[in-house]
Order: sequence, then C-alpha cells, then structure tokens
Amino acid sequence: MNSVPSPELRPRLWDALVVLAVALLAIGSAVWFYGGLGGHEDAAVVITHQGTEIARFPLSPISSTREVVIDGTYHLTVTSDGEQVWVSASDCPTQDCVRTGAISRPGQSIVCLPEQVIVKLVGTGDGPDLVIG
Amino acid sequence: MKTKQIALGAVLTALALALSVMENLFPVTAAIPVPGVKLGLANIVTLFALYELGAVSAVCILIARCSLGALFAGNFSALLFSLLGGITAMAVMIALKQCRRLSVYGVSIGGAAAHNIGQIVAAIITLGDTAVLGYLPILLAVSPITGAVTGLVTALLFRAMKNVHLSKGV
Repeated sequence: MNSVPSPELRPRLWDALVVLAVALLAIGSAVWFYGGLGGHEDAAVVITHQGTEIARFPLSPISSTREVVIDGTYHLTVTSDGEQVWVSASDCPTQDCVRTGAISRPGQSIVCLPEQVIVKLVGTGDGPDLVIG
Repeated sequence: MKTKQIALGAVLTALALALSVMENLFPVTAAIPVPGVKLGLANIVTLFALYELGAVSAVCILIARCSLGALFAGNFSALLFSLLGGITAMAVMIALKQCRRLSVYGVSIGGAAAHNIGQIVAAIITLGDTAVLGYLPILLAVSPITGAVTGLVTALLFRAMKNVHLSKGV
C-alpha cells in the first residue's frame, strides 16, 4: 500500500560520483579564479561600498600605515601597512570580514556582506616601474 | 485530503524556519571564516518534503520558508540569497533524485553544492562585483561535508518514520 517510493538510505558508490563532481568543480573554480593570481607585482587597494568606489591607493612598502573608515549601517575600519591590508574593526554581526584576515596579493579580496563592502587588491603592473639603485 | 497536505506543508515550513534560526546560534563561520558557510539544516526539510510529498509541495514549502524567514529577520536582501540558493539546490536535487542509483546522501551533497553556487550568484548581484567568486572553491569544498551531515539526518528521519505514512490519503 506504500505508494511513496522511499529513498535509498545508505550511501552508495554512486554518491561518490557526486562528491567527485563537486570536488572537481571546487578545484576547477579555484584554478580559474586563483590561477591568474599575481605574484608580488605592484598592487592597488580598491575599496567599494554599496557598489561605489570610495578609496583607491597603492599598496607599496614605502607607503605608511593608512586607515579607511566606512560609515553605513555598520562601521568598518580598513587598515593597510603597505605590505598587506585587512579589516581591523567592524561592528557588523557576521564578522567574516575581520576573520578573513590580511590580504597581500593582487586578486585577493575581503568581503563584508552586511555592509556591502569589498576590499580588493588589483594588479597595477608586472613589476616595479621604478627601481632606484 | 487537500487540507491534510496544506497542514503538513505548514508544519514542515515552521520546522524549516525553526531549524534556520537554530542554525544561526551555532555559526560554522567561527571555524571557517567564509561568508555563507553553514550546515544548511533547513535542507533536511526540503529533502524530506521532496521525497515524501513531491516536487510541487517541496517548492511551495521552500518559497514559504524563504519569504517568512526574510520577513521575520526584517532583512530583504537576505531574501535574494535564500531564494536563489534554495531554488538552485531544489533544481539540482529534483534532477539527482531521478537517478535511482543515488542515495539520499548523493542528492543532499549535490543540493548543498548547488545552494552555494546560487548564493554566490546572489552575492554577485547584490554587490555588483565578481570578487565574491573567490569564495566559491572553499564553499564547494565544504559542501560534501555539510551535505553528508544533512543527508545523514534525513536518512535517520526516514528510518524513524518507516512505519508512519504521512502522505497516506493525501
């Protein structure tokens, strides 16, 4: 009388195919996104808040420590010491942006979804455009 | 008989909402600092409804859950995330369910991965920037684990309810 087809409740070998497909997708997307990740070429910090670019400055060892404060529903402090950039403080509920830590290579980014902030590192060239020797 | 199905749908929607709230009390993001990483406990209800009541009821429960969840949270930007994630997951699970060689685990893992893809799309739309794509590999890598957990709970649920025919007479 049971007309409802009951699902198979024990894992089968075929389920491994699904896991494999997901793993391949993960690796594929990682290679696709991070494969072209720059080395230590010159980078610029780009901060966007709700779709609008609010700051852009070079990330170079000679620049001094810099802080950008974003005021919205929540308040974020983005700090750069010339080598890397990170969200040093935020009162957003998720705190993912703070936990992400510091980024230092072009292509990397920090995202705060509640306040719609993206801190992105973009490459500005293939290497130092000025060498003082 | 129709009344029973509506009542059952309402109970499952309430259960899914309760699971979503409960899940927020134990954020997985504390361990893995990536926005969007979560167990996806509400997917247990979706999976159960899909097998027990069929695709149409499961989609109705999903939409009711997402809408009410956003309403209760007072956060309408979250609606796009939960709807896109939920509908993508639902589409993949309906497709995978057709494959009789897959168990509830395979369907659940596929759904978990699809949910993450849907949420990344929602994030790209919301933020207007593709930077969030960088999170996709990590989210996908975690999804077999979270999918297996929800698959396990669903399997246990079906075992426990082996002799209860909820949809009998529906």
